[in-house]
Amino acid sequence: MSNGYPNAGFRNTPDTAVVPFYLYAAISFLACTILLSLSTESFTQHYFSPQLLAITHGMALGWGTMIILGASHQLIPVLTEKSLFSIRLAHLSFFLAAVGIPLLVYGFYTFNMGWPSKWGGRLVLLAVMAYLVNILYTVKTGKSGNIYSLFIVTAASWLFITAFLGLVLVYNFNFPFLPKDVLTYLPLHAHAGIMGWFLMLIIGVASRLIPMFLISKYQNNRRLQLIFLMINGGLIYYLLSYYFQFPYPVLFSGLMIGTALSFFLHYIFRVWQSRIRKKVDQPMRISLLSVAIMLLPLFILLLVSGYRITGGQHSRLVLLYGFLIFFGWMTSLILGMTFKTLPFIIWNKHYHDKAGLMKTPDPKTLMSDRLFMAMGISYLAGFMLFALGIFGGYTSLLKAGSIVLILAAVFYNLNVLKIWRHKPLV
Amino acid sequence: MNIISNHPINATIALAALEQVMDPEIGLNVVDLGLIYQLDFDKQGRRIYVSMTLTTQFCPMGDTLTAAVKRVMERTFGDQEIVVELCFDPPWSQERISEQGKLFLNQ
Repeated sequence: MSNGYPNAGFRNTPDTAVVPFYLYAAISFLACTILLSLSTESFTQHYFSPQLLAITHGMALGWGTMIILGASHQLIPVLTEKSLFSIRLAHLSFFLAAVGIPLLVYGFYTFNMGWPSKWGGRLVLLAVMAYLVNILYTVKTGKSGNIYSLFIVTAASWLFITAFLGLVLVYNFNFPFLPKDVLTYLPLHAHAGIMGWFLMLIIGVASRLIPMFLISKYQNNRRLQLIFLMINGGLIYYLLSYYFQFPYPVLFSGLMIGTALSFFLHYIFRVWQSRIRKKVDQPMRISLLSVAIMLLPLFILLLVSGYRITGGQHSRLVLLYGFLIFFGWMTSLILGMTFKTLPFIIWNKHYHDKAGLMKTPDPKTLMSDRLFMAMGISYLAGFMLFALGIFGGYTSLLKAGSIVLILAAVFYNLNVLKIWRHKPLV
Repeated sequence: MNIISNHPINATIALAALEQVMDPEIGLNVVDLGLIYQLDFDKQGRRIYVSMTLTTQFCPMGDTLTAAVKRVMERTFGDQEIVVELCFDPPWSQERISEQGKLFLNQ
């Protein structure tokens, strides 16, 4: 009956390699909503502007990437059944990114492509390399043939490609050596990051975590392999089309990735259908909402590529596409998943050695439900107001939406702080 | 639930004690969740083997749950060595949840 002691080979990652990433991400989210509020005018103009570059990188790196790096330090040992290869490398990637990201964002905001952007880009690239080495060595020594590990390693590799391309673009501002202008290469850098890093990692992790939280027995590795191949295939086709001039790069790759996304949605639907746990908590609801939101930017992408939309309309749709990705899909997922993971990480820190010996608090009580509700309502209201503002070009809606989004970020930060500052009861 | 044991009386005592070990994410104890597979008490009274599982092999709380089960068993059977072994064959399934547990999850 027994097949050994599968959990004996690894130990949980210490919270010092996880929690600082969460805290940094929370502050970045607040900073980005404030920048958003100060830059609403930019959302009525062309998408290539210093303010929008700063907000995009603040959201992509400070918010999305930092929290994913932290969460994956916790999760990878669980998926690979091995301890994280190096806690020092995890700390190193934090410190490098923590210094590099604000430099890069400052460089973009002031459009100083000199030392702030260059050093910011270099430090971020080094942080990514430290993370990639850590992940590769952890997976190499861990259980092989795991589809979730494959998603994570591939995503980390795409992150490296994205950071490298980004640094190349920064250098190109100083010493132009690329044959075409930056706007030509920007979609390469952006989509390697959005599809290769975020989408790949989120699908890999969500396909494991959502069934776990819902207690669902549905598992279909073949379907996940197909999703993996289609996303990578679509992305590689898109990237190679720059060199080989393949026909309809956006449409073909968009259709491939769109089909992969619909397979993933179907996967989550089957998980939902076969769940044992009928009652679904609020953080899980917001996380599931993000799965639906991920179709919106794809719809915009196909609209832009399928119709001859030019000038102001085109720029507005590109802005909306970016906003739906960073403030819609990615943010809603993080808002939900933070409160499905952080209370347990902190609970584990305080009560791991006490569980079974005495009555310990329910991990869910470490967070405030009221703050969570306030955050959820203000986030949804702010998100919809701002998205409508971009679509219609209404400055007043953009202002109102950004202020409500600041509120959501404040509620989020207060709740994260409450969990982090939890005093053990026993 | 279907728990195998070579000592029904001690098993009853052990299960009553193990009801204090809660899965922190689900909010249900390990006995009603059906995570305990087997309780073996050796004839010399020196060692107890606990064979248990997790709802998923990748459960991040696995380490905490096995440690808590060990602690509760040590407290209940103080003079005996406790060996907790994780087992995923057969894998855990919802059929293992007790009626009380199913009621709790359907709430």
